[in-house]
Amino acid sequence: MTSSSYSVTRRRLLLSASAVVALSATGLSTIISEAKAAGAPTQGGTLRIAFLRDNTTLVSIDPFQVYWLEHRVVLRNVAESLTDQNPQTGEIIPWLATSWQISEDGLTYTFNLRKDVTFSNGTPLNAEAVRIAFDSNKAFAASVPATFGRTYLAGYDHSEVVDDHTIRIRLSKQNAGFLQATSTTNLAILAPESYKRTPEERSRGAIIGTGPFVLKEYKPEIGIKLARREDYAWPSKAALNPGRAYLEAVEIQYIPEESVRSGQFLQGELELVWPRDPFSDVDIKQFQSINAQILSRSLPGPALNLYPNVGEGRILSDPLVRAALQKAIDRKTFAEGVYSADFPVVQGPYDTTTPYFKSQAAKLAYDPDGAAQLLDKAGWLRRDDGWRYKNGKRLTLVRPLQTAETAGDVLIQDQLRQAGIELKLEVLVAGEFLTFVSAARYDLHSTYMTRADPVVLQTILDPRYTNNSALSINAYPPETLKKVEAFFDAGLQTTSSEERAKAYAGLQDVLIDDNVAFPIYERLWQAAASPRVRDFQWTSEGFALFNDIWLDGTA
Amino acid sequence: MKTYIISRITQALLVLLGAYTITYVILYLLPSDALSLMLTASGVDADTLSAAQLAEARHHYGLDRGVVDQYLHLLGNLLRGDFGTSLSTGSSVTTLLADRLPQTLMLAGCAITLSVTAGVGFAYTATWLRWRPLRLALRRLPALGLSVPVFWTGLLLIQIFSFTLGWFPSMGNKGFASLVLPAVTLSIPSAAIYAQVLMRSFDDVWGESYIATARAKGLSRAQIQWRHVLRNAALPILTLIGLQIGNTVSGAVLVETVFTRVGVGRLAQESVLRQDIPVVLAVVTISAAAFVTINLIVDLLYPLLDPRIARAAKVT
Repeated sequence: MTSSSYSVTRRRLLLSASAVVALSATGLSTIISEAKAAGAPTQGGTLRIAFLRDNTTLVSIDPFQVYWLEHRVVLRNVAESLTDQNPQTGEIIPWLATSWQISEDGLTYTFNLRKDVTFSNGTPLNAEAVRIAFDSNKAFAASVPATFGRTYLAGYDHSEVVDDHTIRIRLSKQNAGFLQATSTTNLAILAPESYKRTPEERSRGAIIGTGPFVLKEYKPEIGIKLARREDYAWPSKAALNPGRAYLEAVEIQYIPEESVRSGQFLQGELELVWPRDPFSDVDIKQFQSINAQILSRSLPGPALNLYPNVGEGRILSDPLVRAALQKAIDRKTFAEGVYSADFPVVQGPYDTTTPYFKSQAAKLAYDPDGAAQLLDKAGWLRRDDGWRYKNGKRLTLVRPLQTAETAGDVLIQDQLRQAGIELKLEVLVAGEFLTFVSAARYDLHSTYMTRADPVVLQTILDPRYTNNSALSINAYPPETLKKVEAFFDAGLQTTSSEERAKAYAGLQDVLIDDNVAFPIYERLWQAAASPRVRDFQWTSEGFALFNDIWLDGTA
Repeated sequence: MKTYIISRITQALLVLLGAYTITYVILYLLPSDALSLMLTASGVDADTLSAAQLAEARHHYGLDRGVVDQYLHLLGNLLRGDFGTSLSTGSSVTTLLADRLPQTLMLAGCAITLSVTAGVGFAYTATWLRWRPLRLALRRLPALGLSVPVFWTGLLLIQIFSFTLGWFPSMGNKGFASLVLPAVTLSIPSAAIYAQVLMRSFDDVWGESYIATARAKGLSRAQIQWRHVLRNAALPILTLIGLQIGNTVSGAVLVETVFTRVGVGRLAQESVLRQDIPVVLAVVTISAAAFVTINLIVDLLYPLLDPRIARAAKVT
């Protein structure tokens, strides 16, 4: 490692940043909208937020374990990271670390820390605290291999405390996503005191961070309370507010019943409604009746894709049927029909806000005639009842669903019906669902993860990184798997942004060309904010900085 | 009388044991793999563990014991008041219940008071009225109250009393005001049953010969309805209250979800979704125990309120 590599890497990063902009500039206005304001911010007040529900599968608010988006929104304001990511360009920018150097071989990262930062329990943030955080996370990942944070930490070997405010992190193998990983909530730095507690205690709220808010209370399924930290003064460069938060407190509630959630918001009892699914046209009209602001950001990471089961004997092992399926989906109608007129149409296996996104829109056009020809060629012929058959067997695909089917699921079912394909939606409870998927009894399956780096897809689609989850094993024919793995490796091994762009472009091409991912819709995340909410800004991963937000008209 | 009490208590204990056993069988012995469910609920993917780790986990959850052994072990813990540990939150089930139970009890208490008052009051008025058309109309009303789904009533009440009039909060556990709408929602179906049953009993009692005697003694209609008819017709209501308490948890699942309240109903729903087996077992056992206890009390109160029952027991 040489210190001169810093400037080289910085320039490369800046280059990569502009490349990202060029790639994702199309339709940026519809995929990101925020609440910017003029005028001096007002101090005080409580921001009341309603989310849909808590995570029923994993009850945890420990940053390293959490994948639940709503928890990450909260954690972003309690625990902070070495770096941050510019939400517009994808560039990695300073936060707890003022600068960093990456060695030529991409195996050593040296971070220079700010000297004025303290945790909310009063202990200073120093190199030793960072080392404890990284080593504790590594130990936890070893004991629970399926934990979400593991891929963020991929390749991490050990840390060396150079001096009180310099830490050197050594990787045992290259991980080009590592610098971005240091900007995420997943690798946020907690106080050494938090790591002395058990993982279960951290999960239930023993979280001490350096953020502008302190976690006062986490009650699973009920809500979260945050209180302002009075001595806070070290926000990321992406923040507008240089000092302590304007809001005194943030109160989060889980309101499962949609009409109650919306009703409360329309009554002015909430400042933000922030459900998981995008709003429908009806919702938006209702919110606009009180001049609410609709805030949206397309979440970086995979789009909402369906992944096939191409296992032996399954219908989708035939590449012709997969190609037909790709053509039978009408994505434009989906976006307009299920959501709203200006909802972006999905353009590829990644959402447009993901760095190195490459549009596949031309290959994803709706082509019912093409689909029909391909199915005829594959030997699936249409009978009078409208369905297609081969050797007396109907063309039936099975898709398992958890909890309930949505309007979108039913629309896809209907679109495929028009092509003569029967899509069976199996609604299963959590336990059954897992067994069903791991026994590979599905034909189409869907899952997603949010992270502003394309490596996130490895968590879902690379069998070597998913502990051989059924979805990743069954998604590819052998020859496609080889190509996909090669692209994943190439994207991970180089910190050169040109090389990474090439690798991930190749990956996106092969996922669509070989029809092993069927994009359905862009994962637009939307919140409705009362007209009083000012300076709501999205972070790169679709969270919000509560220390920027202020409420107009607060006494 | 003594035999009566002993037989009732034995019966109650058997019912409780039966409820516990059936729930245990469903949760632990049916084809779904209890171990992988438990691992998933604790955030671990069973596929990623080695055989040795699996064996260790099996031991940790007590699943390596024989069926009978495991059953007796859990039952023994239960009798000592130890419901085990929630798989998903890691806290003890007793703590969870202590946190949630008071909220649901308060809701149930208010709902029962309301439904008894409304049901009895309604039946009393409907029977008392002399104008036939109104009397007939009122008699049809309970059927409507019973057939309207609880969640719909809840949403309707929220729309009217929270969002339009702003009298009561639409959600939460804060103070008495937040209890009003959920309690009203939960009380409507029971009130309807009380009214229906009571109106029927009123009709029967009005036809009894002792009513004719009372009339002959010169008592007014109001005096007869209050002193003779109500007292004799009210007995079935006692049985129904017992049933209503048994339905509290299932009713609370809906009402607590609609009104975003914290209570045992939502705890039950959440734990079923999370496949948190110890919590589900505890909730079912507790509600079975409440049901059995209340019905036992009702059975024991009967002979005191209606001496004919105790006397009849002596003869056989």
